[in-house]
Parts: sequence; structure tokens; C-alpha cells
Amino acid sequence: MNELALLVVFPLLGAFLLPAIATISPFISRYAGPFILFTVLILAASAYNTVALSPAAIHLGGFMAPLGIVFYIDPFSMMMAVIIALMFLLVWPWKADTPVRLHSLYLLMAASSMGLVISGDLFNLYVFYELLAVSSYGVIAIQSSRSAPAASLRFVFLSAAGSVLFLTGIAIIYTLTGTLNLAHLSMLAQGQLNNFAAYAALLLMIAGVGVKAELYPVNSWVAEVYASISKPLAALFAGLMSKLAVIVILRLIWMMQPDAQFLHLLLILGMLGVLSGELVAWKANDMTRILSFSSIAQLGLVFIALSIPSENGVFLAVLLMLHHWLVKSGLFLLITQLHADPTRLKGLAQASPYMALTFLIFILSLLGVPPFPGFWVKLQLVMGLSEMQQSIYYLALGVVLTATVIEAAYLMRLIKQMYSPQPAAMPLPLQTVNSQQRIAQFFALILVVSMLFFNPVNQQIKQVAAMISDKVLVIKTVYPRYYDSHHHLQQQASLDKQLSSVFEEQRL
Amino acid sequence: MTILDELLVLGIAASVLFMFAGRFKLMRFFAPVVYVGMLLILIKMSVLVSDPSVIQIHSSLQLTILSMNLELRYDALSWLFALITVFAALASSIYLSGAYAKGHVDGDPPAHVIQWVLLINVATMLLMLASGDFISLFISWELVSWASFWMMALNHKSAARKAAVKYLIYAMAGAMMFLAALGLIYAAMGSLAYVDLITFVMQQPLQQSVLLAILFFGAFGIKMAILPFHLWQAKAYAETPGPGAAFLGAISSRMGMYAIIVVLVQLMGSRVLNTGLADTPVDLQMIFAWIAALTTIIPTFIALQQHDAKKLLTWHGIGQGGYMLLGVIMLDSIGSAGGIMHIFNYASYQAALFLSVVAVVYRTGTSDLNQLGGLVTRMPLSFLVMLIGIIGLAGLPPMSGFVSKWLIYRSLILNGEPLLFVAVVIGTLGTILSVYKLIHNTFLGQLRMEHQEIREVPWSMLLPMLVLVSIVFITGFMPGLVLQWIAQVQAVVGLPVVDYHLGGISDAKGDLDMIWVSLILFYGFGVGALIFYFLGGPSRRIHQYDNYAGGHFLTSGVRYHYSNNFYPGLMHLIGNWYQGFFVWCEKVIYSVISFSAQLFENSYRQRQPAFLLILIALVCLFYLIFEHPVRVGN
Repeated sequence: MNELALLVVFPLLGAFLLPAIATISPFISRYAGPFILFTVLILAASAYNTVALSPAAIHLGGFMAPLGIVFYIDPFSMMMAVIIALMFLLVWPWKADTPVRLHSLYLLMAASSMGLVISGDLFNLYVFYELLAVSSYGVIAIQSSRSAPAASLRFVFLSAAGSVLFLTGIAIIYTLTGTLNLAHLSMLAQGQLNNFAAYAALLLMIAGVGVKAELYPVNSWVAEVYASISKPLAALFAGLMSKLAVIVILRLIWMMQPDAQFLHLLLILGMLGVLSGELVAWKANDMTRILSFSSIAQLGLVFIALSIPSENGVFLAVLLMLHHWLVKSGLFLLITQLHADPTRLKGLAQASPYMALTFLIFILSLLGVPPFPGFWVKLQLVMGLSEMQQSIYYLALGVVLTATVIEAAYLMRLIKQMYSPQPAAMPLPLQTVNSQQRIAQFFALILVVSMLFFNPVNQQIKQVAAMISDKVLVIKTVYPRYYDSHHHLQQQASLDKQLSSVFEEQRL
Repeated sequence: MTILDELLVLGIAASVLFMFAGRFKLMRFFAPVVYVGMLLILIKMSVLVSDPSVIQIHSSLQLTILSMNLELRYDALSWLFALITVFAALASSIYLSGAYAKGHVDGDPPAHVIQWVLLINVATMLLMLASGDFISLFISWELVSWASFWMMALNHKSAARKAAVKYLIYAMAGAMMFLAALGLIYAAMGSLAYVDLITFVMQQPLQQSVLLAILFFGAFGIKMAILPFHLWQAKAYAETPGPGAAFLGAISSRMGMYAIIVVLVQLMGSRVLNTGLADTPVDLQMIFAWIAALTTIIPTFIALQQHDAKKLLTWHGIGQGGYMLLGVIMLDSIGSAGGIMHIFNYASYQAALFLSVVAVVYRTGTSDLNQLGGLVTRMPLSFLVMLIGIIGLAGLPPMSGFVSKWLIYRSLILNGEPLLFVAVVIGTLGTILSVYKLIHNTFLGQLRMEHQEIREVPWSMLLPMLVLVSIVFITGFMPGLVLQWIAQVQAVVGLPVVDYHLGGISDAKGDLDMIWVSLILFYGFGVGALIFYFLGGPSRRIHQYDNYAGGHFLTSGVRYHYSNNFYPGLMHLIGNWYQGFFVWCEKVIYSVISFSAQLFENSYRQRQPAFLLILIALVCLFYLIFEHPVRVGN
């Protein structure tokens, strides 16, 4: 199990050694990155089966928690690791003249993403988050168009401010509890983190991480940044980076188990995100802008799902994230080499029917039209929201459904343009289908296949999400010795007391 | 594999096969053959309407998704709707497969594409009629909506596509209301079978059921284009490629009626519909009845003002939907029989009328009523079709439209609703006026010079039209044929059953016997014909252009045809009332959305958003420092 630390170490090592390797042998340095990512992909995929029934914990350096840093390997993190490796492989800059530092930066991003999903320690989470952010600044700076500097700079300021808030929140938590291990903190949450200070810290952390997670109102960077970077990179950001930030928030919420008022706040922010995203997308007439705001809206849906307490909320959030990853990355990859103005899409259906069909599949799934997977995802969200039987959740339900109608308006506008006959004066929208668009078609294929097998996929994701929320399982995995010696205790409270007293001894 | 499976699989398999092989010339008559096959299967299934002991035919497919069981079954109501669907599709398909396929109407795709989309529409509708639980109802509902959208969007012209997208937005809004209602049922009951709604109505407070009923009514009413959701239908159906529009107008919008009968009448019933809203004497039955009555009046008089033949007919479609709803919502034996029978009748004469208008368009190239006239001598059989169609639409004996309308009037009076009765009679008045305008401007009056050489449409197009009007006449002459099915439907749905016989109904307060009515009518006509042809003076046939006015010969170039502004007196009276209220409502909604979008967009245009973040942070930290001093250490 310890070899899973390679998930982080291998890409990290590769990132730092690549410039050196490049001076020795340019050929090796071109393919070293994809090779590393491929190895990591295989590693994560094989680990998924191993941990499917019982998760594992890696205590780095042999230091036991809470002094040492723990990597927590459960099926969810392995699933995310596979997705991360896959995405980086798909958007890898294969061109021969890309500078080596870009490869290094990509590998750094991959390493930090891996670390983010498997980390079991709060500060470690922050380190990987920062590393991801900083390497992404670098990638944006190298790959942007000339009109990008202002947007990227605003993004850097906002993201850096967010990171500072995240750190402040961590500092407050540390002062309150004296520990940084996520499992330990979840045990102490009932007793020591049930005061206003801790909630304020949680708010600071969520606001800070929310910048990357496209939380309203700190998501103003999304449209301008996505417009200025290349489409495959936008696919990476919208499809993957935002999900990683949401995973951080998920872990924080899991750790602290906030009460209903806090969840209501998250719900309101989610609703605002959904409304603002859909409305501004409706108004937009630039393809990238439409997709960016649609992405904000979908992530608003994820926050609405997160505000449903208990494991149902986690399950819905994970389901929504996976669906959005497939659809949004696919859409961004699909619009490479298409003109930004939607009216220039005219004649696409005649020029390349399969491209138009792929577009249609993505849009129908995004809208939630049966029998596509998006419908089942949305249906379960509706059922989850109605089960709460509180008026604010009914309001959220109303917002979600209204947003779908507005979504239909602007997405069907795109479909209408695509299937319109091409006017004689305008040039063809598409010459030949390029490789990124082929990848998008592959994503559409995955979507269609998961539609046919939705029941087993749904069940699997439900199990995975249940394992994330299962507090006892996590504590058992991270602290096996202490848990075993106290397993005959019935109440959680006395277990907490016993464990915290043991930790006190260990600290002193 | 049960009979129901055969029907559904036939539809789906035919659609898939046609997708690949449809463009070959050999496949031209494939679609009509498929529909004939479906009709044969339906005839085999007719035990549903002839044998009172057979309530449902189940499918052998057992599907469980997300721990919910999907059930497929047919009952008498589904059978009736399926019959109407398949027959309307058969008529449109025969129409499409003959000479129409060779000609090309501007903006339309090739005929085999229309046939394929028609097949998909029929397959999805048959699936929807088979739904036995809410999830399959919702899924098939969405599939039917998107199939109709596809049919509308087949026309390449941008106006047609815009109308189709507008329809889709309305349909999405309806679907979301439906989904909200499903969410409420799921929250209380934990599953989405039909019995759950029945239990919900029994157990939960009635006001919640009332809310559910309103949500369902909104969802289904949008598809039916009931006021105030009617603005999408007329333009969208008018712009659909010819025979496809006949099919859509005949049965597609009536899917909403099917869902209303199943959900509001069968599952929820009078317990919910007769509950006073928030302890007032106003109940849902009254509200829905008045909405139906207004739907009967307002679109009919808008139809009066149209000068495009197709738009006139599609506006009528909206109005007639009001009759159906009104009949069914009365929840008694006669009214509901009238309402359900109206669905059947309306499908037959709407299809006939639309196909005859498309025949005129096929020959003359235009459906503009101000550009036509005098075609009765050139296209006599199409004229006959339209004549019988408009007599049916207007609801005059001896056609079937009279029976269903008479039943609805009777039920309104027996239930003590004089105001509603007056409302629907005004609606009928509007119908009569506007259909007369339709037939006069198309077939009567002065023949245009450019239409002198027009011939009748070929037999492949005439045959379905004539079959449809013969149905209109036969079911008018002997309505018992249809009432037999409707009685079974009423028994299954839980409505009181109407006491019928071959010629009509028997009721303690007054019977209806169409056989006698028709015979007396024909007797009267016979006497008139006798007097006119044999006892009158000598008569001579003259040319259609041999006309005089004030002793002066009118050359064919002189236009004396009366077509524009057909009812100036009426318009003078009611013109001021049509200020476009509903269009204004639509614009208001659009403006609200536009304004909110602008507000949100402004909130996104921040120069330095980091400041907002730091501000939030400072507020939090101030709370921390001053409200809860942080203690360092343990």
C-alpha cells in the first residue's frame, strides 16, 4: 500500500528532473511526462480494486498520526486519481516545440492534484492546494493569448487572497484544537469545534477555497480567465481544477459537520451561483463565455447538493461533479477551432454531422433530458432536495428547476445555430475534426455507455460516497491501534474522550 | 412477449430500421405498412374496450432503475388514444408517401425524413400511453416533447425554428413543474408509483394535494396550450411541414389531455378537485372549467382574424382543447363522455382539414387566404373534405362534432353552469364564423386567373382525406360506435359511465338519437333538392367567369372577391379587447429575466474582486476578535 505515495512522488520527481533530462536527451524528456502519468494511472486503477472494500492509510515516514502526515486511500480518491491522470494525459501539450518548463509545470499540477485527493492532513491539503494554484498560474502565463495579462493578474490576486484566507482558517482551527489531522479533527469536532470561532474559520476556509471552486460571489475570474486560455486548458480547469477545490470543501465539511444554519448559508450561495450563472450565460453571445457561466451554474448545483446533510448530500455532490466533468470538459474540447461567435456555427450539422451529434448529446445531458445520465443525476438531486421537507430546500428546488428552463433557452439557441443551413456568404465553420474534438467524442461515448448501464454506475458511486462520509471507518483506518483497544466502547463521546486523552499523553 | 410488447417493439424497431434504410425508394410504403400492422395489433387488443373484465394489459418488461420499478401497461384510455394516434399517423403517412414525396415545398426536408420523424413520434407516444408509474410517464413525456420539437424543427426556415425553440422552452417549463410535483410526491411517499399519489391524496392534508394538482395542471396544460400557456402552439404547428402538422395538431397536444385524465381525474379525483382553495368556496374544478371556457373563446376569435389558413386551423386547435378540458373536468357521465369523444372527433376532422389545406398549398403554392378563392370547381373533392371538416369543427349535425359538443352543453346545463354554457356557445359562434371564412376564402368566391389550370390532388393524397371525412360522418351518424369505447374508458378511469346506444345517449332528462336527427336532416335536404331540381324552372350550366354586376360584365381581371377583413362589424365590437394581454405577459417575463441577467452580470464586473474577499475576511475576523476571544493553548 505504501507504493501509493508514488502517486505524488513520481510526478513531482519528474517535474523537477525534466529540465535536467532535457539537456541530456530531448527525446526522453518529450515522452517522460506522459509515461509518468500513464504509470500513475495504472497504479491508481489497480489500487481502486484493492481499497474498494476497505480503505487504507499510509503513514508517511512511519510517523503515526497525529504527529505524522497521513495519506488516506479510499475508492473515491483512487477514482479521482484515475480521472486526474487521464485528464492530464488528454490535455498534454504534445507539440514538439513546447518548452520543457511547461511539461514540468503540468507534472507539478498533476502531482499536487494527486496529493490533494489523497491527503489526510489539513495543512498538507493546504500545501498541495497552494502548489496546484501556483503551478496553474505558471501554466496560464505561458499559454495565454496576448490579451490575457489583466485577467490572469486579477485571478492571481484573487486566488492568492483566497489562499491566505484558507491559511488563516487553518491557523484558527489549529489554535482551537492543537491538531491538524483530518480524522482527529472530525473526532474533536463535536466538542471543541462547536463554537463561533470554528465556524468563522470554516467560513474563511470555504470562502478561500471557493475562489477556485467557482463559488458565488468570488467567481468573477472564471469568464475572463477561461476566455484567455486555450480550450484544452480551459477543459482542464473547468473539468478538473474546480472539482478538486470542491473536494477540499467536501473534506472540510465532513470534518466539521456544521449545523443546519451553516448549510443554509452554503445553500444560498449555491442558489445565487446557479441563478447568476444561468442568467448571465443566457445573455452571453460568446461560446467560451456561455460555457464558463454554465460551469459556474453547475458548480452552484454541487454546492446545493453539498448543503444536504448526511451522506446523501455527498453522494449527490460526487455524482454531479462526475457528470459535469464529462460534459464540460467534452464541450470545451469540442469548441476548439470553432469560432467564438455562435452565429458562425451555422452549417455545422451539414459539414460534420457527428460533431453536431456530439454537441447535441452533451447539451441534452447537461439539460437533464431523459434517457441521458444528466436526467438521472438531476432527478436524484430533486428527490434529495424534496426529502429535506424544509422551505429553504423547496426554494432551492424551485431555483434549480427555473434555472433548467433558462438553460434550455440558451443551449437550444446553440443547437438551432448548428442545425441551420449555412448561408452562402459565411465560411465553413469547420474544416476537419482535430484530435481534441475526437477526445470530446470519446467523452460523449462514455456518457452514452454510462446511460445504458446507469443503475450499476449509480450503485457504485453511492457506495463510494458512503465510504467518504463514514466517520467511523475513517477513524478506524487512520488509528487502527487505538480504535482496536477501545472497540468495545459503545458511545462515541467516551471514545472521543479516551482518544483525546491518549493524544494528550502523546503530545506531552 | 405480450401484445403490448409487440406494439411497442414494432414502433421502436420500425424507427431504427427506417433511420438506416429510409431513403431508398423501396421503403416508400414502409411506414404506412407499419401503421397498418399497429392497427391490427390494436384490434387484437380491443378486448380492453369490449370486455369489461379486462382492465389492463401488462408488458413483460420489468425494469428497475434507482430502486424504482418501471411499469408498462395499457388500459382502455391508452387504447383509445393509441387508436387515434396510429390512425392519424396512417393518414399522414399515406399522404406523404404518394405524389407529395416527389414535389418539394419550400423549406421542407425530403419526405422520407418527415416519415422517419413521424415514426419516432408515434413510437414515443405509444410508449407514453403505456406508462404505469410516474417515472416512466415523465421519461416518455419528455421523449414525446422532444420528438414533437424535432418534427417542428424539420422546417428549415428560421421563423419555423424560432417557433420550435419557443415551444421547447415552454415544454421545458412544463416538464420542470412536473418534476417539482414528482419531488413533492417522493418526499412524502418515498416512491413514485401511481398508487403513491392515491395514498398521498388520502393521507396528506388536502391543501398539499391542491398544490400538486395545480403543478400537474400547469405541466400538462402547457403541452395542451391551455390559456395562459397557449402562445407557442399556433405558430409552431403552422410552420411544421405539412402532413406532420396534421399529425401534431390531431393528437400531440392531446397528450396533455391524456395525462390530465390519468392524473387529475383517475388518480386524484373529485376529492381534490372539489376542495375549496384555502377555505374559500372556489375549488379547482371551477378554476379549471373557467380556464377551459376562456380557452374556448379567446383563441377562437384570434383564429377569426388570421389570414393564413394553417394558422387559422392551429388557433382553432387551441380553442377545441378547451372544450375537451371543460367536458372532462365536469366529472359527470355526459360531460366527460363529450370531452373524451371530442378528442376523437377533433383528431379526425383536424387531420382532414389540415390535409385539405396542405393539398391546396401543394397545388397553388400558398396558404394565404387573401391569395386564394373559387377553387371549388378545380378541386371539388378537396372542397368536399373541407366542407365536411368544417361542419364537424363547427359542431353542426349530422357530423360527429355535434355529438360531442351537444354532450358538453347538456352537461353544463345539467350541472347548473349557465355562465359556462354561454361562454362555450360564444366559442362555437366564433368557430362557425371563422371556419366559414376559411372555406369561403379558399374554395368559394372568385377564381384567380393563375389558378385556372389547377387540377385535383392525386389519389394518394385524396384517399386519406376521404377516409377521414367518412369517419367523421359515420361516427356522427352512429356515435354509439365510439361511445361504446368511451363508456369503457369512463369505467376504467373512475368516472360515471354514460348510458349509450347506437344513435347516441339515453338520459332521463333528454335523449340524443343521431340516427333520427341525421335522417330528418337528409329528409329535409331531399325535399329541398326535389323542389329545386325537379319543380323549379329550367337551369343552365355557365362558366365560372361568366359574371355580371349591375348588368355590367365583370372581366376575370376585375377583383370582386371578398376576403380581407372578413368580419368588420364583429371586429369593430371586439377588436379593442384584443390588446395582446398574454403577449404582454410573455414580454414581462422576458424583461424580468433580462433585467436580472444584467444585474448579475454587473455583479461580475468587479475591477478588483480580491477586495470583496478581504472584506468578507475582515468582517469574520472582527467577529472573532471582539465576540469570541480566541484562547491560545489548550
